[in-house]
Amino acid sequence: MKRFYFEKEKPNIEYFHVPLSKRASVRDVVSIGFGLFVVSYLFVFFGISVTGTFIKDPMEVNIGAMFLSPSLEHLFGTDFLGRDIFSRIVKGTEAFFIPGLISISVSTTFGLLFGIISGFYPKYFAKIIFFFLNIIDSIPRIIFILIIIVLFNPSIYLIMTFVGISSIPKIASYIKSKVEVLKNQHSIEAARALGLSQWAIIFKHIIWLSTKPVLIIRATLGMGESILIETSLSYLGIGVQEPTPSWGNMVAMGKDFFFQGKIWLSTIPAGVILFTIMGLYLLGDGLNSIYNEKVSR
Amino acid sequence: MMRFVRIFFKEVFNMALLIVGVTALLYLLFNLMPGFFPGKGQGVIEYLRLLKKLFTFQFGTSIISGRDINSIVFPAFRNTLILTIGSIFLSILISVPIGIFSAYRGFKTYSWPLVIFSYIMSSIPVFYFGYLVLYVISRYTGFLPIYYPQGVERGNPVVSYVLPILVLGFGNESISEIVRLIANELERVMHTDYVIASKAMGESVLWSSVNEGIMIPLVSIVFSKIPFIIGGAVIVEHVFNWPGMGRLAFQATLDRDLPVLIVIAFLAVLCVRVGMILKEILLSYINPIEK
Repeated sequence: MKRFYFEKEKPNIEYFHVPLSKRASVRDVVSIGFGLFVVSYLFVFFGISVTGTFIKDPMEVNIGAMFLSPSLEHLFGTDFLGRDIFSRIVKGTEAFFIPGLISISVSTTFGLLFGIISGFYPKYFAKIIFFFLNIIDSIPRIIFILIIIVLFNPSIYLIMTFVGISSIPKIASYIKSKVEVLKNQHSIEAARALGLSQWAIIFKHIIWLSTKPVLIIRATLGMGESILIETSLSYLGIGVQEPTPSWGNMVAMGKDFFFQGKIWLSTIPAGVILFTIMGLYLLGDGLNSIYNEKVSR
Repeated sequence: MMRFVRIFFKEVFNMALLIVGVTALLYLLFNLMPGFFPGKGQGVIEYLRLLKKLFTFQFGTSIISGRDINSIVFPAFRNTLILTIGSIFLSILISVPIGIFSAYRGFKTYSWPLVIFSYIMSSIPVFYFGYLVLYVISRYTGFLPIYYPQGVERGNPVVSYVLPILVLGFGNESISEIVRLIANELERVMHTDYVIASKAMGESVLWSSVNEGIMIPLVSIVFSKIPFIIGGAVIVEHVFNWPGMGRLAFQATLDRDLPVLIVIAFLAVLCVRVGMILKEILLSYINPIEK
């Protein structure tokens, strides 16, 4: 507030001084809320399926109750062997949850490592590192996974590790461009002048204070991608095999009954996949638009 | 003109290096792992022979069927190319207007259903969407062929391109990204000082700022999405029984047919890198800084 004519008016508030709660528009709040809802029910489903309480047995075959429509007893109906679809969906989170976390941790760890090395030493390491990352980047992901399947005959855990490897280049190039901007900033220069070591600067100022949002966003998007990869592979018949429930598996099995008019068999798992992935994408986008300093409004 | 030639040769050199790298990686993996591969365990000489085979486009024979790989791969490659290019154009055609509209109007009454639609389309499992389209088309209309016509009375195959291109164009996971990118960039451009000034002078800013704002990010994102679209093509070809490269790759995976698989990987990488060359040339043509 300007009280006297000789007082200077406050300068325009810079973007990163605005508290996080005031930067967000309604759209961001809605999308982040939706995303957090999705994340929370994923955690709840995973907890239920690990402890095995509250749900019917997902493997229990009941020939007398095939193809039941959704009702109170069977929340999402039953499938072609009379198994409860809701409990299979809950149990199906196990198929991608830990593998997805493995994929995320592989991609963020190595992406961070390569990104920081090549951002700090662009002369020596960046070209070599990015040559190898470009090699990974230019093989289309599904073909890469098919080759891995031919060679290793792997489980879903190994497949998801390779999915993580195949998304290293993207994260590394994000981090690299971020570090290249950051390392010439005054704050980093000041920290160096105060005598902080290189590692302290890297860990505190660059990783913890600056690239954390990028990592969180990439992690949410990576979880969505790993769910989509799992469903695609299960559809092709080379992912999780049938009696073990997984979301992609259920859609793929239900599609055989699609043309008989029993469309909920695959529509309900597909709807759950759609809902979940949309939530994760929206979470990533909402966080991105909050943390993005370029769009200043 | 000299600039484009220089960029072209630099990128071609890059591409050759990368292809050598990719094939070396795959050859190394093939040598480490069990399974038969011609020239396995014979070191660098066989690798150089493989490179010669690949770069002269004489791919040799398949170890399962004994057929010439050229006669299998090239028709499939043509089909996949049609599918990929068609769906890229369809994606651009859908997502660019949505992005422009949502940036111009804000996320308000008219544009939010479109944005939500773009999110739904990019997070739906593409094979489920394919089956949905097949179900609706075959049950309620029946005028579009739902598979690739083969055999003697194959009729006109062009009509059968429609549905796979439609499904892959809507469902290749890139629509929401393009929409978001274009909306962000356009919003940024439309709030810069020179656009506000020209708006105050009464000019129509939309088309000029559209050209200014979206061409560079659009070109770079579209060409960097090519690997994902080829990946989606594997699934869509499986749904529509489309005789393309993805289905061939899947068949080769089931057969453990490593020579076919390495040829397919080579062609896919070639596609991606040619896309990158096009991207660099287009960017240097568009970008005013480099003129």
